[in-house]
Amino acid sequence: MSCSKFETDIALYAGGDLPRARIARVEAHLAACADCRALAEDLRAEQALLGELRDSPLEDAMVAQVRQRVLVEVRRAGFSPRGALAPLLALAAALLLAVILIWPRHHSGAAPRAAAMSHAAPTVAPLIRKSRHHLRRMPAAQPGPPLLVQFVTDDPNIVIYWLIDQKPQGD
Amino acid sequence: MTAYPRENSGEMAAFERIMSQCERRVFRVALRLLNNPQDAQDAAQEVFLRLYKHLGSLDETRGCEPWLYRVTVNVCHDIARGRRHSLGLAEVPELPAPQPDAYHDAERAQQREIVRRGLSCLGGKERAALVLRDVEGLSTREVAGILGSSENTVRSQISTARLKLRDFTGRLLRRRS
Repeated sequence: MSCSKFETDIALYAGGDLPRARIARVEAHLAACADCRALAEDLRAEQALLGELRDSPLEDAMVAQVRQRVLVEVRRAGFSPRGALAPLLALAAALLLAVILIWPRHHSGAAPRAAAMSHAAPTVAPLIRKSRHHLRRMPAAQPGPPLLVQFVTDDPNIVIYWLIDQKPQGD
Repeated sequence: MTAYPRENSGEMAAFERIMSQCERRVFRVALRLLNNPQDAQDAAQEVFLRLYKHLGSLDETRGCEPWLYRVTVNVCHDIARGRRHSLGLAEVPELPAPQPDAYHDAERAQQREIVRRGLSCLGGKERAALVLRDVEGLSTREVAGILGSSENTVRSQISTARLKLRDFTGRLLRRRS
C-alpha cells in the first residue's frame, strides 16, 4: 500500500484520534517508512503549537470591552419599556382609547359617530370613506375628516391608532 | 431539567457568572475562527446576548459550554460568510525572519504565528473542527455534538485540516528559508 493511503490515518494517529482497530496497521507502516515517520513528527509538532494557541495570552482589555458592551445591552433591554413596560403601556393606551370611544356616546348621544369609530382599523382609508358618506347625507353640518393619531411603541408589533372625529364645521 | 433562574436578579447573577467563566473561551474561539480581533469581539458579544435571551431554556445541570461553543461557531460562520473567502498561501504576507541572536521563545512565537495564519487558510468547517479539537482540546465526540456532525465526519475534517495545515506551514517555512 502506498504512503498516500496512510496519510489520513497518520494525521488521526498523531492526534490520538485513530480508532483502535486501525492503530496496529499504521504503527507497522511507520516502523517501516521514514517519510511517514517524519510526517507524523511534523503533525505532532503542529499539534503542540496549536495547543499553545490555547494558552497564548488574550488582551484582557478586549475581553473586558465585550463584557461591558454585553452588560450595557442586557441592562438596557431588561429595563427599557420594550422589555418591561411595553405591556403596561399598551394596556394604558388601550384603556385610554376605550374611554375616548365610549365618552361621546354617554355625553352627546351621537350614536352613529361612535359606531363608525368603533370599527377603527389600523388603516385610514375605510374610515375616511365612511366620513365622506356621512358628509353627503348631512351637507349642512360638515365634519372635518377624522384625525388619525398613531402611537408607535418600541415594540414593532404594537402600534396604536387613535381616530378622532372633528367637530362639524360651522357649529 | 433545572433551568437557570428567570427572575431578574437571579437571572442577572447567573448570567454574569457564566459570562465571567466563559468569556475568554468564547472570545478565544471566535478569534481563532475569524482571525480578526474586532470581528471576534462582535461575535462574542452576539453569543452572550443570545445566551441571555435563552438562559431560561438552558439546562443548568448539563452546563452551557457545549451550547456556547455551538453558538460561537454559528455566529462566526455568519460573520465569516459576510466577509471574503479564506486566505490562500499567496495572500499570506511574509513573516520577517527571526534575528540571528533572537531567543528560542521568539522562534517559537513565530512558529505559532505561522500556525495561526495557517488556520485562516482552512475552510470554515475544517477550521471549526480543528480549533475545537486541537486548540480547545475537546474530544472528537464533543466536537461532533457541537458541530451537529457524526464522529466520522469530524475525524475526516480534522485529518484533512491537519494535513492542509502541515502543508501550509511547510511551504511557508521553505519559502522563508
